Amino acid sequence: MTIWWLILILSFILAGGSAFIYMAIRLSKVATQKKTLEDFEGQAEKDVEHIFNDEFREELRNRGRLHFEKILGENAMFLQQDLRLTTSQLNEYMKDQISKDLKNAFANYENAISDAKQLAVESITKTKEVIDEQRSTMTSQLEKEVSDEKARRVKRLEENMADVVNHYVLAAIGNQIDLNDQLEYILGELEANKKEILEDVNNGA
Amino acid sequence: MAPEQQQPAAAAKRLELPTLVFGPIELRRLQRELEALEEYISAANIRNPGKQAELPKTSRLLDALAGNNGYNLLMPNHRELLMKFLKDTEAKAPVIHISLAADPSSAFTAKLVAWLRQNIHPYALLQLGLQPSIAAGCILRTKNKAFDFSLRNRFKEQRSLLLKSIGGGTGKL
Repeated sequence: MTIWWLILILSFILAGGSAFIYMAIRLSKVATQKKTLEDFEGQAEKDVEHIFNDEFREELRNRGRLHFEKILGENAMFLQQDLRLTTSQLNEYMKDQISKDLKNAFANYENAISDAKQLAVESITKTKEVIDEQRSTMTSQLEKEVSDEKARRVKRLEENMADVVNHYVLAAIGNQIDLNDQLEYILGELEANKKEILEDVNNGA
Repeated sequence: MAPEQQQPAAAAKRLELPTLVFGPIELRRLQRELEALEEYISAANIRNPGKQAELPKTSRLLDALAGNNGYNLLMPNHRELLMKFLKDTEAKAPVIHISLAADPSSAFTAKLVAWLRQNIHPYALLQLGLQPSIAAGCILRTKNKAFDFSLRNRFKEQRSLLLKSIGGGTGKL
């Protein structure tokens, strides 16, 4: 136990001695540097006219000009880039806007065309329906008229059949009928109706 | 006895109307001829009294009328009787109108007149008409009635048979 205490005390003593030595060395260095800086400042104040002569100034001016030109070039480049970017964005914006407007216009046109097409289709459908109806009506009416006309003609033909056949016979063999050949028929008919003829002749006013 | 004073033997009997005298037209023609004959004879007597005048040529109808009834046209009373007969006949005889399809021959007309006078009335007068549309047969009209003996009427009477025949052919009627 005592040894350990002894070792620890000795260690503290050694560490304190070392720190003291280091601090002493350090303080001596700082004092040296401070003295050197003061020397330089004094020398600079002495040689300020010597350092900033015309050549140095011209050099500085040239450097400044170059730096200014560089800055100008960079700014111009940035401005150009910005301008290009802006133009590009503007183009994009215009393109988008015009496309949008055109799309809207086309959509409107399509709607209008679709509506017109729908109206036209409805109109055509209605017209077709009306035409079909009229055609149906006309067909039935025509059929009825044809049927009526047919019935009328058949009826008239039946009623006038005797005249038709008589006309046909007259036209066909009218010139070949000899009156003398009819005498027997005529006398036969007279004989058959003799009684009626006699009655009318005797009793007639 | 003068011929003018002779009474015809057939004066009282019924006179015959020749078949050649078909109808009223012939009757009137005979009357005009008799009148002309009367005038001629009167004129001849005035010019040459006592002399026999040459009789003008008479028509076949007048010859038949006088000949069939035994009359002498030179005798005034005969002419007078004939004229009276013609006028009475024109006024009283029944006129029968017959329409035919064609103009008949004289023989055809004579046969028709003969039948009419034999079966209907001895003085029946025939008036002929032409109607080509009847084709064949005739249409007879008396005073109150009409008798259609034409082919057209026969077709009408047999219309059902005609329709049946045609319907059998077409299947529609």
